[in-house]
This record gives sequence, structure tokens and C-alpha cells, in this order.
Amino acid sequence: MTTTAAPGAQALAYEWIKFRSVRSTVWTTVATAVLPVLGAVFVATTGSLQSDDTVLGGSLTLSVVAQMLAAVVGALVVTGEYSSGTVRTTFAARPRRATVLAAKAALVAGVMYVLALASCTLAYLVGDALLPEGRYAQGEPLPALFGIAASFAVAAVLGLAVGTLVRHSAGAVTTVIGLLLLPSLFGPLFGDAERWIAGLSPTAALEKLTQTSDAAADAVGSLGPWPSLLLVAAYTTVLMLGALVLLRRRDV
Amino acid sequence: MIEATELTKRYGDRTAVDRLSFTVRPGRVTGFLGPNGAGKSTTMRLILGLDSASAGRVTVGGKAYADLPVPLRAVGSLLDAKGVHGGRSAYHHLAGLAASNGIPRRRVGEVLDLVGLPEETARRRTKGFSLGMGQRLGIAAALIGDPEVLILDEPVNGLDTEGIRWIRGLMRSLAAEGRTVFLSSHLMSEMELTADHIVVIGQGRLLADTAMRDFIETNSRAHTLVRSPEPEKLRALLETAGAQVRLEPTGGWRVEGPDAAAIGDLARDHGVAVHELTPAHSSLEEVYTALSQSSAEYRADDRSTDDRPAAPSRKETVR
Repeated sequence: MTTTAAPGAQALAYEWIKFRSVRSTVWTTVATAVLPVLGAVFVATTGSLQSDDTVLGGSLTLSVVAQMLAAVVGALVVTGEYSSGTVRTTFAARPRRATVLAAKAALVAGVMYVLALASCTLAYLVGDALLPEGRYAQGEPLPALFGIAASFAVAAVLGLAVGTLVRHSAGAVTTVIGLLLLPSLFGPLFGDAERWIAGLSPTAALEKLTQTSDAAADAVGSLGPWPSLLLVAAYTTVLMLGALVLLRRRDV
Repeated sequence: MIEATELTKRYGDRTAVDRLSFTVRPGRVTGFLGPNGAGKSTTMRLILGLDSASAGRVTVGGKAYADLPVPLRAVGSLLDAKGVHGGRSAYHHLAGLAASNGIPRRRVGEVLDLVGLPEETARRRTKGFSLGMGQRLGIAAALIGDPEVLILDEPVNGLDTEGIRWIRGLMRSLAAEGRTVFLSSHLMSEMELTADHIVVIGQGRLLADTAMRDFIETNSRAHTLVRSPEPEKLRALLETAGAQVRLEPTGGWRVEGPDAAAIGDLARDHGVAVHELTPAHSSLEEVYTALSQSSAEYRADDRSTDDRPAAPSRKETVR
């Protein structure tokens, strides 16, 4: 009766069923995918683009908010289990906690990458079609769109790591949004160090990749878009390892 | 088979489970008894690897739970705390569990049938489920992998009489198929009807690991229920003979000391009519209450002295 699929594949199948059968994760994910396109339509129809902005950056104005929602989804995937008590059911079904966490990470990263790639590409095409020809610099959508999608995946995994560490939905959501927003909010307080502090946020990496006029070096750091993305991915990995250590040690 | 060896769980200064050793064997229903806070749920979480032991070990079929290749095929569990997301349908809860262990999706329909949850109900979110429906879903989840070992924390909680009878029949038939069935309950009367063997703990320590019948017979005080149309005369006679006589709530005397034959002979010798003469044992509930009380007293003494005497051995308490 039992198939011989690898435990990892079974754990992923389990996470996928759990993910799509609860409203909170489904609707937050839908909102993540819809926002960038809505943003492109809004910016183009209201003509609210700044003159030094690019078509790519302007079209993806709301991608910053969408990226926050991606992080929230990552957090909810694990905190929902703690609040409902399903975490015990999950670990009874798959007692290797590293496998469970890896499956969750693969799921949110995969879903967010695919959705963000589709949504942000569509947003760019919509913006490009609606904005007046030749008034703004075009921006370079490729390969930037792949990096943009990856930044959503990284934000989701960052949310997952924070959710695993914090275990409560409200606390995790607040923390992860804080991680995304605070570097740019508090950056100015650090004087010359602003560009380093502000550059730490996944939001900064995203803004650099979208080539928006907001991504000035003095606001989000002089690190290039791809190194910025790598930096965020690197500390997200470190946070995930910390989350795993705690997850294996804690009683549930 | 579940084997616990010197299993210990400490939370800070508090010892929830204290050097607990017992074996739960296949082919019979083993009841797990203890007052609230005795460590039953903690022990069950330790068996499932949800909590990690401070010392000692526990294995299922010779393996630590985390080392089971396909856990749900080996062990089905229902924990006291709900493990179901209120926003998810029962169907998806079970489908997820099936997928997690490579169990075919059709098994979901089978276990829903088995526990008597209609497909239509199972498609609804579990938030609106009654306690009884939730319990049936929990049992369906425990049975999804057709496991050899079942670990159920308070399975009859919230069920009506019919539901309780159903669980009792189900547990007994699963044990009769050669499976290991380990269930906790605070309903002593229910346990008396369901379990063949019991493991009793108090304050995290083992008080008894014995056959249900032996437990009652060796721990209960035999007594005889006597009814007579001349109750006062009979009582005087019995007390003169050195018996302890108390009024039964249902009427008649509860006599400790002489057995039924001696009481009958005594009544005949003095010409007192006897209308009922019933030898009886204490119920599990009475035995258990006495045992857990003495355990509580023991612990109170224990705490007042600095050098802790050895834990009461199983032989002392049971034999």
C-alpha cells in the first residue's frame, strides 16, 4: 500500500495539501500575486510616475507590498500549525523535523517564485502597454525579473524562519514586517551608515532589481542588485539554520 | 509493542515522568490510568517523540519513533489536545496525513466510513464540529495508516453513550487482530470494561503494571452484600462476629471480614432470614482512588524528608 516515494517528496505533498486547504494562506498568496498587476494599472492610469523612473520600476511599484505578503505567507505556514496544534500531528506523521522544515521552505519558495515571476512579468507588460511610449526609460526587465521573483522566494523563507523561531502568528508577522521595513525607516538615524543599514532589507534588494528611482544608493546602499539579493539570501539561510536547531530541540 | 525504560521527563525542577518502565504488549487493550497531572499525556508525547526525554528511552516495535521509516503505518495516535486546524476540512486533514506517509488517497474514504463520518460532513471545515465528531475525526486520523500500534489519549472524551460503546468495540476488535492498543482515560468504569491490562501511574511514577483482573482482586477488599428483613438483628450478629458492617447506598449491608459462606451459616444458626448474599470486589474506581490517594500521601511524606526513600516497587503496591 505504501509507495516508495522519498520522505522528502511525501513531506512536500503533505505541506502542499495543508497549504491549499486553509483560507489564510490561500488568500494571502492570491493577494501577493494580484497586487503587482493592480499597482501597474494604478500607476499607469493615474500618471503618478516620477520623471526619472523606469517603466519596469513604475510598473512594479506595489511589488514591495506584495513581497511583504510573501513573507507573511511564509510565517503563517508554520505559525498556523502552532496556534491550531497541528504541529503535533505533523511531527507525528513526519518525525524528522529537518525534513518538515525543508519541505515548508521548498513549498513557499517554489510557490512564491513561480507566482511572483508570472505576476511581476504581467505587471511589467501591463505597465508597458498603458504608459505613454518613450516618456520614461524602459529599464531592463531581463534578467531582473528572475531576481525579483527570487526576492519573493527569499522573503517567504525569511518569514518561515521567523515564524519557526517566534511560533505565534501575530508576533511573527510583526517581526518579519519589521525586518523588511525598519532598515529603511531607521537608516537615516545612522548617518553615513544609512546605506549599509537600509541596504540590508529584502525590500532594498527588490527595489534595486526593479530599477525604481527610489533605489538611490544613498537610501538603499551602493551594493549592486544581485549582490544585495545574495546578501539577503545568505542571512536568511543563517536564520533558517538557527530555526532548525531550535525546532529540533524544542518540545511541541 | 511499546517499551519504556527508566523514562524520565523534567521541566525545570518539576519531574513530570519519573523513571517509568513498562511494556505495552500486542493483542490486548492496555489502559493507562492516573489522576490529572500524573504524567499520562507527557508519557504519550514522549512515546511519539514530540517531547524529548530527559533520561531513559522509549521504543515502538524496538525503534525510537523518529527512526520509524513510515511512522503512520506503524503507530496511529490521538492526543488529548486537538491537532486539527479549524479552517481545514476533515477530508483535507486526512488527505494530508495520507500523503505524508505515501498512503493511497482512497484510504481517506475507508477511515471516514469506519468512524461513521459522512463524506458530506468531512468536506466541511472542522471549526463547526461537535466534540464527538472531532473525536471521530481524530480516530480516523489515527487509523489512516492501518497501524500496528495505537496510542490514544482520552479517546472517549466528549462521546455520547453510543459513541463510547462504539470505541470500546473498536478497541477490542483492533486488539483481537493482534494490534497493540494503549489508551488513557480518567473514566475508570469505562477502563474496567475495555482494558485487559493496565499501567497505573501517579506523580509520574509507576504504581502498577498488571492484568486488570489481578489488579482489582489483589488491591480491592473483598466484601459481601447482604440483605435481610431483620437488618438490625443481622448487623448485631455480624459485628459480634468481628465483621465490619456499613450501610450500602442501595440498601442492605456491606460486610467486610467473614465471607459469604460464613455470613450465611451465621444467619442460619441464629434463625435470621437472608434475602440476598452477594460476594463482591471493589470496582476499579475504588481501587484506583485508594491507590492514588496513598501515592499522594506517600509523596507528601517524601517531600518533607531530605533523604528520599526508594520508589514503591510494583510488588509492594500490587501484590
